[in-house]
Amino acid sequence: MRSLAISALVVALTGAASAPASAHHAAAPVFDMSAQKTVSGVVKSVDWTNPHIWVWLDVPNEAGELETWGFEGMSPNFLARRGWTRTSLQPGAKITITFRPLRDGRPGGMFMTGKLEDGKVLTNGGAQQ
Amino acid sequence: MKISVLAPAVLVACGTAVAAQEWKTAPPTAADWAAMAKLPDFTGVWEAPTVGRGGGARAGGPPPVPQLTPAYAARKRELDAKNTDDTEAANCLPTGMPAIMGHPYPYEFLMTPGKVTIVAEAYMQVRHIYTDGRPLPADPDPTFNGTSVGRWEGDTLVVETVGFSPLVTIARNTPHSGRMRIVERFRLTGPDTMTVQTTVTDPEALAAPWTTTRTWARQRGWTIREYICEENNRNFIDSQGKAGVVLDNPGGTPAQKE
Repeated sequence: MRSLAISALVVALTGAASAPASAHHAAAPVFDMSAQKTVSGVVKSVDWTNPHIWVWLDVPNEAGELETWGFEGMSPNFLARRGWTRTSLQPGAKITITFRPLRDGRPGGMFMTGKLEDGKVLTNGGAQQ
Repeated sequence: MKISVLAPAVLVACGTAVAAQEWKTAPPTAADWAAMAKLPDFTGVWEAPTVGRGGGARAGGPPPVPQLTPAYAARKRELDAKNTDDTEAANCLPTGMPAIMGHPYPYEFLMTPGKVTIVAEAYMQVRHIYTDGRPLPADPDPTFNGTSVGRWEGDTLVVETVGFSPLVTIARNTPHSGRMRIVERFRLTGPDTMTVQTTVTDPEALAAPWTTTRTWARQRGWTIREYICEENNRNFIDSQGKAGVVLDNPGGTPAQKE
């Protein structure tokens, strides 16, 4: 019962996170919208640009080498009205990103939520505490 | 502002004489500006209908889908069968009407004597709606956002738009015939809420008028931001309609697509 309730909550939250419709392109052809993955790394840089922000994350691979992952978010226009700023994510920040993976298996996907070391959470629908 | 004549104007450009028709209006007077105060005030930034907190929900249930004539239903099936992943919007081509009015980005309304201007943040589009009494042109050049005139029916701004590029569609995989006509009815329903009723007709493509209704919320603190789609567009569809994402050159200009 409890796990059911938690599943429902997760669905509700992830549904909300992916709710923003894109003005620009369809998500499903390139991102697996039924999958959800999590990866941790260090922010390399952030493109605070239209039509989408991109969060570039350095993640150690199995050989211990750093690999750069790319995560597409909404636009700065959308996010700036919902609590993000262009400095919300700083290079060097440690972050755990939940994402819809790229269908072709390359390292990256659609940004859903990012949890920073201090507990601050950034979502693609807007920043939270 | 008195309406003057529909005067044929001859424009000479690069040595070529081009005949054009120009609706000439007298400059607005103080009385014209004063008369603006009697109109419903649509000015300001309105939140887009599809998403967001605090407003923007569609009025009642999912939007209806357009009912097509048999010929256009067959065309849609053909296009659907191609299974293209996405539209040219992924390559930053603006969507045109009616889709440009349904993006998750805000719209600013500007009102001046004889004109309402709608600035759509998505793709930085501008719609020019002339309310000075001019008729719709009989044979306008086809454009993405069409050619619009507006009139006031009581408190409702009624906008008629014709003349659409073949590159815009009624909906996904749903071409128009060239005779598409869009009527929008904008009405304030509260201090900061507006209802937008959009009816698309097309005597060849649509079996029945296609009407959708949206509720918009005015966001007094918002300003329209820049939206240059080509700034860092890592999405694309190729000539076969296959969608992709460019990950090359992180933090820099995306590399060549396809």
